[in-house]
Amino acid sequence: MKNSLKVERAILDITQEELAKRTNVSRQTVNAVEKGKYVPSTVLALKMASVFGKKVDDIFTLEDDDWR
Amino acid sequence: MKANFLFPHKFKKIGWIIFIPSVVTGALYLFFEVTPDFLIAKALFIGDNDLFSMTNNNLIDEISGILIIISSLMIAFSKEKTEDEYIAKIRLESLVWATYVNYAILIIGIALVYGTNFLFMLIFNMFTILFFFIIRFNWVLYKLKKAEK
Repeated sequence: MKNSLKVERAILDITQEELAKRTNVSRQTVNAVEKGKYVPSTVLALKMASVFGKKVDDIFTLEDDDWR
Repeated sequence: MKANFLFPHKFKKIGWIIFIPSVVTGALYLFFEVTPDFLIAKALFIGDNDLFSMTNNNLIDEISGILIIISSLMIAFSKEKTEDEYIAKIRLESLVWATYVNYAILIIGIALVYGTNFLFMLIFNMFTILFFFIIRFNWVLYKLKKAEK
């Protein structure tokens, strides 16, 4: 799964730390999600999208690999 | 999501404070047979013939063992400062890993170790599953924290 967290963060000009605080998770989690190492739960994805005022689909997108 | 069977975060520190002295007394007993007199007490035990019998017993090994187990549980299963879903995933993976390692060592022990040494190994094996978990879980967390910087 791809994500555009980094871009979205840049637009809002917030750090991983700030995003972590607003979504109530640890900074490591934000970092792992951003790097694509961890796929967030639906709830966390919805929370992150809501921080950026967007839909989940705008931030997280499926890759071919996800269908295998 | 709410019931995760974990202790509050501060129990981790309390766990360490109990853990270190109990490991020391446990090791003193096991390796140097230290048995302080003031710990001798009449103790209830489940015997071979009678269900409950009384005997004179030094309590150092009982106390150490029980405290090591309780404190290890506290260290292993206290919440992190921010216990979120990713930490929970690492927790689960570490527990699976620790179980494999613990039983791998036990299998090797069953095959290769005999007599009193085997008994020693069994004693260690009771505690090591939690030790392996604590080491692996905290190592992964440490690596994550370092990787960010």
